[in-house]
Amino acid sequence: MMRYVARRLLWGAALLLLVCALTFVLFFLLPSGDPAALRAGRDASPETLARVREQLRLDEPVWVQFWTYVKGVVLHFDLGYSYYSSAPVSTLLWDRLPATIALALGAAVVWLAIATPIGILSALRRRSWLDRVFMGGALIAISAPVYWVGLLALYLFADDIGRFPLLPGANSYVPLTDDPGAWFGSLLLPWLVLAGAFAGIYARLLRTSLTETMSQDFVRTARAKGISESRVVVRHGVRVAITPVVTLLGVDLGVLLGGALLTEAVFNIPGIGRLGLDAIVYADFPVIQGTVLLAALFVVLANLVVDVVYAFLDPRVRYA
Amino acid sequence: MKTISSLTMKGPAMPRLLARILLAGLLCLTLPLLLAACGGDDDGGADGTAAATTPGAGDGAGGRSGGVLRIVTEEDLAAPLDAGATYSAGAFNVLTATNRPLYRYLPDDPTRAVPDLAAAAPEVSDDGRTVTVRIRDGVRYSPPVNREVVARDVKYAIERGFSPAVGNGYAGLYYGAVIGADRATGGPIAGITAPDDRTLVFRLRRPTGGLLAEALVLPLSAPVPAEYARRFDRVGEGETSQYVNHQVATGPYRFKADASGRVLGAGIVPGRRYVLERNPSWDPATDDRPAHLDGIEWSVGNDPNVAGRQVLEGSGMSLGDTPTAALIKRAVEQHPDQIFFSPGAGSRFAALNTQIPPFDDPNLRKAVAAALDRNQMRLVRGGEVLGDPATHFLYPGVSGFEEAGGMEGPGVDFLANPDGDMELARRYLAAAGYPDGRYTGSETVDVVGDSGDPSDKNAQIFDETLRSLGFRTKLRLVDSGTMYGRFCTVPRAKVEVCPNLGWQRDFDDPQTVLYAAFSGDAIAAQNNTNIPQLDDPAINAAMARAELLVDKQERAEAWAKIDRMITETGAAIPWLWDKQPVLSSKDVHCAHQVWNQGHCDLAFSSLR
Repeated sequence: MMRYVARRLLWGAALLLLVCALTFVLFFLLPSGDPAALRAGRDASPETLARVREQLRLDEPVWVQFWTYVKGVVLHFDLGYSYYSSAPVSTLLWDRLPATIALALGAAVVWLAIATPIGILSALRRRSWLDRVFMGGALIAISAPVYWVGLLALYLFADDIGRFPLLPGANSYVPLTDDPGAWFGSLLLPWLVLAGAFAGIYARLLRTSLTETMSQDFVRTARAKGISESRVVVRHGVRVAITPVVTLLGVDLGVLLGGALLTEAVFNIPGIGRLGLDAIVYADFPVIQGTVLLAALFVVLANLVVDVVYAFLDPRVRYA
Repeated sequence: MKTISSLTMKGPAMPRLLARILLAGLLCLTLPLLLAACGGDDDGGADGTAAATTPGAGDGAGGRSGGVLRIVTEEDLAAPLDAGATYSAGAFNVLTATNRPLYRYLPDDPTRAVPDLAAAAPEVSDDGRTVTVRIRDGVRYSPPVNREVVARDVKYAIERGFSPAVGNGYAGLYYGAVIGADRATGGPIAGITAPDDRTLVFRLRRPTGGLLAEALVLPLSAPVPAEYARRFDRVGEGETSQYVNHQVATGPYRFKADASGRVLGAGIVPGRRYVLERNPSWDPATDDRPAHLDGIEWSVGNDPNVAGRQVLEGSGMSLGDTPTAALIKRAVEQHPDQIFFSPGAGSRFAALNTQIPPFDDPNLRKAVAAALDRNQMRLVRGGEVLGDPATHFLYPGVSGFEEAGGMEGPGVDFLANPDGDMELARRYLAAAGYPDGRYTGSETVDVVGDSGDPSDKNAQIFDETLRSLGFRTKLRLVDSGTMYGRFCTVPRAKVEVCPNLGWQRDFDDPQTVLYAAFSGDAIAAQNNTNIPQLDDPAINAAMARAELLVDKQERAEAWAKIDRMITETGAAIPWLWDKQPVLSSKDVHCAHQVWNQGHCDLAFSSLR
């Protein structure tokens, strides 16, 4: 197992290097704002612009910039400075990371808490009115755009502009370390909104997977042994049926940890997604590179964790 | 000092929260129709027919002392928030509260600069080559510097503006005539001297003292203590000055800082929030600004519709962005005393490339100008409350506007009808060699516009106008940074039409509106500010003469004539003089900076 993990980590590092190179190539090949001009301002003379470009090392060939960047990251964990705000990129990322982690993990807990019982109930009572209500609701939740649901949730429930002022609204995010109660309250609406669509997807997936699992021979055998139905469902059925859910969870969490942009935007949660979007708007390349690398790192790690978890969930899986 | 978040959060107890989440979840499941209904009552934009409601700019008087003003925005303040570097209205708004440049404008008078750090008006020598400024006594830096400001601090502040690590965009433009500035890269400039602690002298290579004296209102003239800032300014290649993250203040407010003076992470959290608190070193006896507020907090990254509603229905807030059309309509109809339309917020125009066909022909340019429906261009932005159809380039509130013809303009026929005049356009086409009044050339006209709403609609209207005259066009809509950085300001991109351009004055001098945008000397291979690439010898010569004038009225008259000359070329088509809408909560007494997009002047505004 350790050799497997080490091998995956090495591949992950290679992948990150590739992502880094691709980001460089894309930024410099595709049309975007000129970072030197954006920093120096519209009235800057050609001489000033040239000096700023030189100062930011934008006058060097792309491969030299790439090499300097990779060297800085690998040797010093130095992600550079934002062209836009002059702040160290690592400071910006560390500042945004807690909010993104809180949003993604909290929403995952909510959607799993909603989807798991619904998926199991729907699978066990297929074609019942309960199944139809649950799956119909899931379809609606999947179809509703997060941005729209977020705005409606605010207009309904936010304690400042809502018709039914129940929960803290946009711009109320407080770091956990400042005030745990306020932190929890500020994330309730975002968790619900972000979890809505995911809950629908996961419920449908679990329903399908469990339906198929419950018709397998080993389930029939378990029943024949006289094991209670609840134990058959939980210990034999769900344990196997949950495997594709874990796969999807790994991918989704990896992506969300790279930034849940729409939810962050609607609720003004200062996360990685928002940071990345602003960096693109301002052609702030060091920050773009930092956010992309972080998102890629999360996807790599999440997939690795998922593969390791397989071994514990499914006895048939073994890693050499 | 409370944080933004703690002010917003009302701190509900946990059991109550659980009950609320359950109730919210229940309502989510059972009230889908209500959800839709609740979101739907804002639809539609301001149609331009609502009456303009423009309360006075005010001076903040009448409010109480104390409290915290919260400013919510979607866009980040254009960083870095270093007085030596920044070049945007939002950042100027913040930095006038934390810094004391030599001069500043009163909130509601965009034409008269008053001494701030300076003790009196600048003295310009008769030959226009020397400008002398006396520095006020008793102005001190915030901790950890604490000492009194002296003249050499202003010298250092301006010198560092030439450093590429600071990256000031206008230092060369307005201070470039100072002796030694043309070779400056952040080190001492021979033409700026401080013979004593209270006197600052600028010596110029050319007699442009009149312009320099006006430019002293820009934040670059705010003092910086060299002995403290130097270690942050001296950075290696590939890095930028870190003084912004450790800056000290001279104004009534300062960025919140830790014990070492570091503001990054405390008062400045890029893309998230900015927090100002009272400057303990500020002495009201040295400043005529009342500084009613105890603090100001910016919250960045807000959804514009949500933030606008929070401002209109909440308290102690102001919207730092341009509100959406739906919000403007809502404010005008339901909260008319909470919206202010700041006049003189800039001009919008379309540039036609005069260096390449087809618009190297003046008659074709005039045909397009005649055909353009400027009222429609205004309507898609929100209607008459948001501005007046432009007839020339010096816009209302800028020195020289009246001399250039005021609202009526210089009287050129192709800008006479704001609804567009197709008959006149056809006559100009005929004069250009297309007798049937329709362009029949084979080339495709490249039109590059801004993809943001509502600028994309303006670009589409312009594109339609060109097509209606027979031009084949290719419309490209890209984000604003790309539009400028890769297309419109790069002559080799050979873009024929850029319809979404805007210009704002840097200070109250017509040269700041016309020179960079239309002087042949301003044409550059990159970051070109003269986007139509107008290179008219007569206009260039008139500008060269006008920039040497010292008397303000003489400058206004001379630049008004140049404005007329530019307008007559048709190289660019002015289509709107902006009024900037500003929303505030009902309990905010906002002293609008009419010189700066109508933002609340933080040192004058108050809470009721």
